[in-house]
Amino acid sequence: MSKKTRSYVEFLYILPFLILAAFMFYYPLYGWVYAFHDYMPPKPISSETFVGLKWFQFIVSNPVRLADVGRVLVNTFAMSGISLAFSWFPMIFAVFLNEIRCKPYRKFVQTVTTLPNFISWVLVFSVAFNVLSSTGAVNTVLTSLGVIDKPIAFLSSKEHVWFRMWLWLTWKNAGWAAIMYLAAISAIDEQMIEAAKVDGATRMQIIWRITIPCLLPTYFVIVMLNLANFLSNGMEQYYVFMNNFNKKSIEVLDLYVYNIATSGRGNYPLSTAISMLKSIVSVALLFVTNTVSRLVRGEGFV
Amino acid sequence: MKRFLSVLLTIAMLLSLVTISAVAEEEAPLVIDVYDDAANYNGTQTGWFAKVIKDRFNIELNIIASQVVGNTVYATRSEEGNLGDILVVDKSKFPEIVEAGLAKDISDKLPGCENIMKFKNQIDVYNKGLTGEEGKYYGIPTEMTDTSPSTLTDDVIYSSPMLRWDLYKEIGAPKLETLDDLLDALVKIHEIHPENDDKDPAYPFSLWPDWDGNDNMVGPANVVQLTTWYGEKLKGSAMLKPDNTFGKLYERDSAYYKITKFLNKAYQLGLVDPDSGTQNWDNACAKMSSGRVDVMWYSWQVGFWNSVDRLNAGTAFRFIPVGDMQFYADADRYYGSDRMFGIGAGVEGEKYDRIMEFLDWYAGPEGVTFQHNGIEGLNYTIGEDGKFVPYKDNALMDNLPVPDEFGGGGFSDGNNAINQWIVSSICVNPATGERFAQKYWQSYKDMTMTEMKKEWSEMFDAEDDVDWMKKNGKLLASPSVDFTPAADDNTIAAIRTDVNKCLCEYTWNLFFCNSDEEFEAMWDEMVTQLDGFDYQTLFDYDCALWQPEIDAKVAAAAAAE
Repeated sequence: MSKKTRSYVEFLYILPFLILAAFMFYYPLYGWVYAFHDYMPPKPISSETFVGLKWFQFIVSNPVRLADVGRVLVNTFAMSGISLAFSWFPMIFAVFLNEIRCKPYRKFVQTVTTLPNFISWVLVFSVAFNVLSSTGAVNTVLTSLGVIDKPIAFLSSKEHVWFRMWLWLTWKNAGWAAIMYLAAISAIDEQMIEAAKVDGATRMQIIWRITIPCLLPTYFVIVMLNLANFLSNGMEQYYVFMNNFNKKSIEVLDLYVYNIATSGRGNYPLSTAISMLKSIVSVALLFVTNTVSRLVRGEGFV
Repeated sequence: MKRFLSVLLTIAMLLSLVTISAVAEEEAPLVIDVYDDAANYNGTQTGWFAKVIKDRFNIELNIIASQVVGNTVYATRSEEGNLGDILVVDKSKFPEIVEAGLAKDISDKLPGCENIMKFKNQIDVYNKGLTGEEGKYYGIPTEMTDTSPSTLTDDVIYSSPMLRWDLYKEIGAPKLETLDDLLDALVKIHEIHPENDDKDPAYPFSLWPDWDGNDNMVGPANVVQLTTWYGEKLKGSAMLKPDNTFGKLYERDSAYYKITKFLNKAYQLGLVDPDSGTQNWDNACAKMSSGRVDVMWYSWQVGFWNSVDRLNAGTAFRFIPVGDMQFYADADRYYGSDRMFGIGAGVEGEKYDRIMEFLDWYAGPEGVTFQHNGIEGLNYTIGEDGKFVPYKDNALMDNLPVPDEFGGGGFSDGNNAINQWIVSSICVNPATGERFAQKYWQSYKDMTMTEMKKEWSEMFDAEDDVDWMKKNGKLLASPSVDFTPAADDNTIAAIRTDVNKCLCEYTWNLFFCNSDEEFEAMWDEMVTQLDGFDYQTLFDYDCALWQPEIDAKVAAAAAAE
């Protein structure tokens, strides 16, 4: 077999994956055409419904509406940013979990913290409602203890929405995210730790000098993966917790797009146009990261 | 041996397949897809109503409920070119459905449906308006009445303030002249009734946000309904005043301001359930039926509390007149409500015949009795004079078990999931000579001729709610006309979504303001924001959209006089 034929044959190996990628990632981009049409079901799109950039102008031409999109972007960045800033939390959690000497207790803590990951957000909210509503467990206990005389409105509070959302997210995900780190910890060479102990290192010193440095490569891989989802911080969580009091701070891009497409009569072109914004911002983010990487490491990755 | 076994097994399998298909051929029911904007249940109709139609027509209903699975189902199904076999859709959508070729021309079969054609007048008016042609039929209006466009049959109106009679008497039955008097009364009621019998906290108001923006009205449903207490009715985003002119809802002389302010004052007095903004209808409803709410305002809402026992005990809810109010009420919906029945474009042949046969039964006395009255022997019995007598009137409220002979299961679970009727419950049942709705039966009136009712009549010198309103000149009855508002185009829909979102968000925050200064400042901020979201454009659009209906109503009212 000549080199040329062989390269053709080898190309065939990756062909299924190319087709899959085209089908899964490029074909859906066809949906973007809806942003350029005055599409209103049941009438299908046709050359008559083509309106060009009308929907983009609709967003940009009105300062109030533009500010609204800005607010949504700020929320998205803020909540993803907080998650990113605290992304070390599961790692530290795993490290301390590993330090628990009593095995049954460690297993218990691990199970209890991992379990919430398998509960859907809808159920998380119903738990939250039962615990935190005006007649919920927390308010009942506080009232009967005489700490407060009027129930605290936890769920309809406008304060610290971003942070509280992060708390819920962490409650749900931390245990699950720690599993990766626990696996990495078990891969650390025992000899290093033994040697450190012989040299008289304390527990904290072992954590600081050995465990954490050994976990950092795993940490960076996970941070990179999370960065890719910076703008897609999901919508279920915010959808179930959203109400008229915290809406201003809780509406993220995905939720905003969903709300436009489904509330009232629904407006698919406008919501498609705004969701395209996500791709534009993503590409911009990519270039920024690439530039930063080039400045810091001397080489980009694109 | 193995080979022999496998051959044997294959033969056995084939045989069983043959027998299954043979049996199936005999009785396979016809499955009918019902695309339904009214349904609150998605999936195959089950329980007693499924048995009723299976026994009569051997059909099964597969309900596709846009309210359950989301509006997107409308887009995807119409993209496929097949919405369903039976269509129950919002009236404003029907013209575009016909235009897109998704609804069938039923001119050939409809005139043969004698039960439906009892409403020929209304059906003709609607379809002529739709197609411009005489004798061409696409749609059947829903909940039509056999009265007249200007009659008001009901003795209660859709929305009015209702209080617990025992509590109202306990605070001395004060005469109420204004909303402030009502607040004073509610403060006293809250003092004597801070919790229900189970020691759970009770409040005069418990609101819920999940109906906001419904029924062609922007803003929180709990406010826009209450504006009718002052004769103002929201049409989309424009407030229809008693003198038939339109005003902006955010003006400070509008009833919208008045009611929002009223609810905020109530909050400042501690009369509003703190969970109001975060609970959904189910939570609010559970509170109503457990006695944790002291004010009701929808006529049907009392159904969650007023049982025959409570009416007798005098602990039921009753309309309490407030002197300065002037009530807007719709007259009988002679021309039908806001939805339409139609047939899917793809329905042909035998299926078409069977669907039309089913719909005609659905509009006939037997079908209507099942829809509005339930099952004989469970929900009502037939007296010696042949008239209906209420029996187990809590069947729906408490989801009572249905005997196996009627299909088993819970009554509410097996209730008609189409959730939309062609014939209104105020029509007369030819079998009894009385209206279908239970509250008009003589037997029911006799049962509920209670002490409470007598006391109320004496105190307010009137027979019933509507009688009091008429006697005191407090009723603005709006006649029924045939009118279909055009569906929003994309631009208007986008503005409406923004305006509704902004209005709901601000109004809910206005309810929970801690001072009047904060309230006024936030109101001004809301006006600025609404203007920013092009409220003016939407307002102008809605005024023009609804003006023909207003003109027709004025003409109808003049004709009735």
